[in-house]
Amino acid sequence: MALKGLDIFKLSPKKNCKECGSPTCMAFSMKVAQGAADISACPYFSEEAKATLMEATAPPMKTIKVGAGEKEIALGGETVLFRHEKTFVSKTRYAVALCSGMDDAEIEAKLANISKVDYDRIGERMYVEMVYVNYDPAAGADKYLDLVKKAAGLNRVLVLGCQDAEVAKAAVELVKADKPILNGADASNYEAMSAVATEAGVVLGVTGANMEETYETIKKLEALGNKNLIVDVGVTSIKEAYKTAVLLRRTAIKDGDRSCGYPSLVQANVLAKGDLHMQAALASLFTMKYGSVIVMEEMNYAQALPLYGLRQNVFTDPQKPMKVEPGIYAINGADENSICLTTVDFALTYFVVSGELERSGVPCNLIISDAGGLSVLTAWAAGKLSANTIAKYFAEADIEGKVKNRTLVIPGKVAVLKGEIEAKLPGWNIVVGPTEAVQLVKFLKDMQG
Amino acid sequence: MPFNAKSGKFNASINVVEIGTGDKKIKIGGENVLPFYTFDAPVENAPKVGIEITDFGLEHEPDCVKKYYEGCATVVDMAKKAAEMEGVDFLSIRLEGGDPNGANKSTEELVQLVKEVAEAVDLPLVVCGSKNVEKDAELLAKAAEALDGKNAVLLSAREENYKAVGAAAGLAYKQLVGAESAVDINLAKQLNVLLTQLGVDGKSIVMNVGSAAAGYGFEYVVSTMDRIKAAALGQGDTTLQMPIITPVASEVWGVKEAIASEADMPEWGDQEERGIDMEVETAAAVLASGSNAVILKHPVSVATVSKMIKALM
Amino acid sequence: MAKFVTIGERIHCISPVIRKAMAERDPEPILKRAKEQLDAGATYLDVNIGPAESDGEDLMKWAVQLLQSNFDNVPLALDTANKKAIEAGISVYNRAKGKPIVNSADAGGRIENIDLAAANDAIVIALCSAEGIAADNDERMMHCQNMLERGLSLGMEPTDLWFDPLFLVVKGMQDKQMEVLEAIKMFSDMGLNSTGGLSNNSNGMPKHIRPIMDSALVAMAMMQGLTSAIVNPCDLRLMETIKSCDIFKNNTLYADSYLEI
Repeated sequence: MALKGLDIFKLSPKKNCKECGSPTCMAFSMKVAQGAADISACPYFSEEAKATLMEATAPPMKTIKVGAGEKEIALGGETVLFRHEKTFVSKTRYAVALCSGMDDAEIEAKLANISKVDYDRIGERMYVEMVYVNYDPAAGADKYLDLVKKAAGLNRVLVLGCQDAEVAKAAVELVKADKPILNGADASNYEAMSAVATEAGVVLGVTGANMEETYETIKKLEALGNKNLIVDVGVTSIKEAYKTAVLLRRTAIKDGDRSCGYPSLVQANVLAKGDLHMQAALASLFTMKYGSVIVMEEMNYAQALPLYGLRQNVFTDPQKPMKVEPGIYAINGADENSICLTTVDFALTYFVVSGELERSGVPCNLIISDAGGLSVLTAWAAGKLSANTIAKYFAEADIEGKVKNRTLVIPGKVAVLKGEIEAKLPGWNIVVGPTEAVQLVKFLKDMQG
Repeated sequence: MPFNAKSGKFNASINVVEIGTGDKKIKIGGENVLPFYTFDAPVENAPKVGIEITDFGLEHEPDCVKKYYEGCATVVDMAKKAAEMEGVDFLSIRLEGGDPNGANKSTEELVQLVKEVAEAVDLPLVVCGSKNVEKDAELLAKAAEALDGKNAVLLSAREENYKAVGAAAGLAYKQLVGAESAVDINLAKQLNVLLTQLGVDGKSIVMNVGSAAAGYGFEYVVSTMDRIKAAALGQGDTTLQMPIITPVASEVWGVKEAIASEADMPEWGDQEERGIDMEVETAAAVLASGSNAVILKHPVSVATVSKMIKALM
Repeated sequence: MAKFVTIGERIHCISPVIRKAMAERDPEPILKRAKEQLDAGATYLDVNIGPAESDGEDLMKWAVQLLQSNFDNVPLALDTANKKAIEAGISVYNRAKGKPIVNSADAGGRIENIDLAAANDAIVIALCSAEGIAADNDERMMHCQNMLERGLSLGMEPTDLWFDPLFLVVKGMQDKQMEVLEAIKMFSDMGLNSTGGLSNNSNGMPKHIRPIMDSALVAMAMMQGLTSAIVNPCDLRLMETIKSCDIFKNNTLYADSYLEI
């Protein structure tokens, strides 16, 4: 975070001795802020003041890495509160919870289910990236260790939820090479837990009954030298969890309090136990407001489809449109003889158009060419959707070799291109489609009829 | 050093708008903090949840919604049943059939229906138009007249028809005017300015700043709402301090994740569950961005979102 | 960033109409000028009662209550050399729409007005001069630092000191104009607020030229980070320029009707 001259001035000796070469301490402070002078040019700045300034220039929120090798995930590292200010850095990750208190059948079912949601959306793999393994003391340590081993087989980043330092030590020992999170430190056990985490070199999750208590424990952990932390926003209530998630982020970013600058973990599975729809609501809420890891009882497609879509939307670069890959998208079981339609690669256009085409039930080939990720009219105006660009793409991608049908529907908004496309793509029957995607269903049905 | 949170309370606040009359009337807005930031300052009026029915009754509803209205023969029956459902704060009737490019039902027919619904239920009412701007100019103006004294929201006045809708709803019959812009903050502001210049009291305007289903360009919705709240609260921009009401149902019950049948997408599983979660997650996200009210369709979504709001207040 | 703050300067005892109204406690002429300025888009109104050595306290109280009760607690800048009058004005001042502004302190004989502002949780306009205009920006910034230190030591928020570089008249000091603008940039880089009697630049120029010079200067000064100015809000060209600059600076959200609001 850039320091303002005023922040430096407040710590300056305010003697106006001119020994640094500047006429006043204020002028000197401004030069330091601009990088035009080094603070060491002033002989009177106290060491303490210098340390404060160093601290203030460090990033407000730590980037915490979990998981090893290809599975490594970065959490936190955010620099803003709102996505329109600057792109968010680390997307929210979702975990499914297992507990050693569950019976074997339930555990087996969960283990099998975790891999179920796994699909691609605009070039991003959507799946459950983490598994939360909770320790139930009543079920005993052995069962827990057994479960940790099983969970490790899923090849996901693990979060070990365990407040018993001894059991935690044994569990971490089993999987420490995979860099799990050990979640379970609080005011009562932080010293022992911190020792386990530090020794194994893993991230420690810390929590408390409320924001205030959690903060005090963070301070104590920092005093022990442990800053490799993630904050569990707690399970006291949804309200308190939300407060903690928001205050951590805001206090770190806005007020520069580094002790709040850690990623967060939200146990939606506990906050809304047994209510999958409420967990869906909370997953959405905490994806919007500052959850780094969100734990669910399960992740089914109903929950996942909107959630991963939302995450993809929220974590995009506000300056950069989302694009889909150019290519032939076969819809409703289309083959080489099915009618062809074309539109731009702007993700939003693609989704709306492909959604309507699916709704029509008509088999068709949606041909997407590279239009710079712009919408139809914008792409046309920028020269990125023209008879030339379409003809060029058809040649490059060998569309004529792949599709036998020779009818191509173009977006109604670029009806003016019809003649030019006909000239560039001889042998094709160019048809002007509707101007809005919603009219596609009727359009295709009319065409068939 | 104990934790000492700085308050994120603003000096400006969102207008309080009262909808409906009598015991069931609701208040939205009034907050001087970001959504659900009750730790910064008390939020007096919790966001509200509305349930949507249309003039087509059960005809166009997905099967998973139909079953909740079993035994309802008419739209009025549905309205009565909807009003009794858990978590419902207000009723929204969407006059879809008015669209000249669709069923093209007459204004008289639809206004008559609105009247009957208003007489049958005592919940606050939101009347959504046909989405055709010419038709809505007439339809919503007449609906405003028919609902005289009900303090209802006419959703919506758009750039093309704000004069007709604003004059009837805002001036002649003192209803509440819903100003609609499609994820365009400058237009959102401009419409409020135009409506107030027309003479409509700024305190009787609510905004529909546009929405999208989660995953469908929702980033624009988030940033539009974030920036509106930043201007309204942070910059004290009085032309943007109107509460936001977001129709979610009409966005989500059209996307394939919500409506594709299980037969078509077997790996996706139960269609009803998908519809509900799409609606619940989209609603939670628009509420987190600053909507003061959402309009939903599925009774389980309504109950869930209402419960989430209560848990956060 | 916050919107540019315009402080309307037209309630000033130098005007014969206002001087007479103040002497006779006649509300009408004062209310008329207040309304004109507020309609034109002023945020704050400056109330200059002159030296008012004999009845300053009573007069300032009267003026504050008159304006605030008629215009929804409009925020005011209390402008007089009489400290007791400022204190009296603040004692009846309603803060609902903004803190009172003490107009003004300097780094010389009037530095104690900073103490007055600090004691009353008010904003203070801090003229970067002591005895006479600062010779250069080194001197300006020295004054700025002294006043800032004093304010901070008394517990003021740094943003409650609005530094005035002192705008200079073009006819006579044309070669010093860029220095004033550079001083504004320095305040801004420090995260400080600034203000000033901007129209001083065009003193002595023909009437039809002044709005042109004033609006050109305000645009340049806003680019440098000026956060406020004491101006005649009834100058349409100037106000349009300020509103347009607020759009470019992202201080207000654009709408086609932005000039009308």
